[in-house]
Amino acid sequence: MKKLLTSAAALAIAATMAPAAFAADYSIGISNTVQGNGWREQMICAMRAQALVEDDVSNLIVAHRNTDSAGQLEDLNNLIEAGVDAIVLNPSNPDALNSALEMAMEKGIVVVAVDAGVSAEGAYILSNNQEEYAYLGAKWLFEQVGGKGDIVYMRGIAGVSADSDRDNGFKRALEEFPGINIVHEVFTGWQQDQGKQQMFDYLATGIPFDGVWTSGIDNVIVDAFVESGAPLVPIVGADNAGFVQYLTEVDGLTGAAVTNPGSVGGAGVALAVDILNGKAPGEKTVLVDPVLWENASDGGRATITAAQNPNLDPEWPVSVTVPGWTDYTMDQIIACKGPGDS
Amino acid sequence: MSDIIKKNAWVAGLVALLFVLLVLTKAIQPSFGMSGLESVARAALPFAFATAGMAVVVIVGGIDLSVASMMAVCAVTAAVLMERMAGVPAILIVLGLGFVMGLINGGLIVLTRVPDIVVTLAMLFVWEGVALLILESPGGATTEWLKQSIRGSVIPFVPNALAIIALCVAVVWIPLRRSKLGISIYATGSDELAAFRSGVAVGRTKIVAYGVCGMFCAFGGLSLASLTGIGEPVPGPYLMASVAAVVLGGVVLGGGRGGLLGPIIAVLILRIVRTILTLLAVDPNVTTIIEGTIMVGVVMLGTAATLRGARK
Repeated sequence: MKKLLTSAAALAIAATMAPAAFAADYSIGISNTVQGNGWREQMICAMRAQALVEDDVSNLIVAHRNTDSAGQLEDLNNLIEAGVDAIVLNPSNPDALNSALEMAMEKGIVVVAVDAGVSAEGAYILSNNQEEYAYLGAKWLFEQVGGKGDIVYMRGIAGVSADSDRDNGFKRALEEFPGINIVHEVFTGWQQDQGKQQMFDYLATGIPFDGVWTSGIDNVIVDAFVESGAPLVPIVGADNAGFVQYLTEVDGLTGAAVTNPGSVGGAGVALAVDILNGKAPGEKTVLVDPVLWENASDGGRATITAAQNPNLDPEWPVSVTVPGWTDYTMDQIIACKGPGDS
Repeated sequence: MSDIIKKNAWVAGLVALLFVLLVLTKAIQPSFGMSGLESVARAALPFAFATAGMAVVVIVGGIDLSVASMMAVCAVTAAVLMERMAGVPAILIVLGLGFVMGLINGGLIVLTRVPDIVVTLAMLFVWEGVALLILESPGGATTEWLKQSIRGSVIPFVPNALAIIALCVAVVWIPLRRSKLGISIYATGSDELAAFRSGVAVGRTKIVAYGVCGMFCAFGGLSLASLTGIGEPVPGPYLMASVAAVVLGGVVLGGGRGGLLGPIIAVLILRIVRTILTLLAVDPNVTTIIEGTIMVGVVMLGTAATLRGARK
């Protein structure tokens, strides 16, 4: 009887194991250095959701905290010690992480950088085109104010490469419009409360201006206008759910959202699994180009309405998937569960 | 005599805890070896120097909230200088700069009589701005030999990074502590008025202690530049971590008691805890909770043990 039970149990185990027998058993490490920001949280959730739907991924280790490059080096070295097969990271700096990334690649670990590039040779890069992101939005804004006027320029974090890249794109658009004048330039630190306070402070000075370009801290800027009773001016933001909703709902708001999906993180995990399975792309760098959604035309408004989802976190980008890359459903990314999470 | 035993008991307890954690790491990840130890020691570098600096000002009875910003200034200065000149003069300039920044902090506190926590909070922003003025976005370069010096191990089983921490701290601290100035630092920290009445130049002692803190921050900035190979103007998470390690290392907030060995072992403990949590794939949001809980737990246990020892 006991023997029978044992063999039955063995059979049951074999039956559950059978489909997995052909799947590989990859462990993937994630490293990220900004915590508590909607975009980065969506990126992490996209990574978890994609790892969950990939049959070949059995383990996901997430190192996700607020730190500097030295801290990210520490996390990367810990992931190497944990024996992962691939590392997907959002690099804090393109050059600062080379020592750990080179060591990882020496050990045969696949390295995929998402959102920003790394200079370590042999690493794959998958990112949104940040320069194009700023250029597209700035150009639309400058056209919207008639090619001349005063613009408030609300940047991200001083010294961070995504901010520098966007600044290059912004300056490129600025050169094309000599009539545009930057009256106020601030760093929001990509913090909602800070950006809102900065806009309150500036509105309180009473200095007139014609438009606002934001680096993704956008819906709170609209709030600042509405709460202080100031007349709205054209505002450019990112495709954060809160801002996209405002574009359809707030009376008198003309604005544009430039897509910058945090779900490139999920695409990064998909790319890493492809490479592990021997299906590496020809190019080391894969760029995802942004799209601009504006509410000044009927066509633009239709696009915005189609992209909305009321269940999304208002700080998350609306574009939750990267077509051709990610395989998870919207429910899976909202659940934010990776392999091994209960 | 009993005081010395108590002080050493705390350090011995920390060493035992570190050893237990290392064994635990090995049990979780059997492949954890020399390369793992080296990466823990490298990760500890900037934290160890920030903590050493913080420990000195806490011992003198103050606090310096600008340590991370001073490290950023030193890191970008090092990266900018090393692009243009040889490594050794650049290192000396950066160490001098750190010392001067610390003297400015201390000087402002002593001369204006504004509380240290206010002055150094203000200086946190000042030094942060200075770092951005020197280098607006991450860049510069670090001398190759400096980058190599923190890797590998020259002495068997001792990672170079650990040897560098021990050497730099010992060269600054041991002669200082044995000098008249060192005694003045402890005297000022334990009772400023009594120290003053005993003829200690309290103001000068404080200023120099902040200067030493600044110099340790310069070592910290140099280690950041050596780790990353560039200079980053944005300050890292070293302020809170250094206060935590100082407390965990047995230095009494308020001043006068404790040394530098305990805090530096505490830094290693906090780093190895993070390694363990990563190896176990613990949820990153839970990780910080665990780190904080361990800190409070250890300090509570330690305080309880010390109090019981004192009563006997």
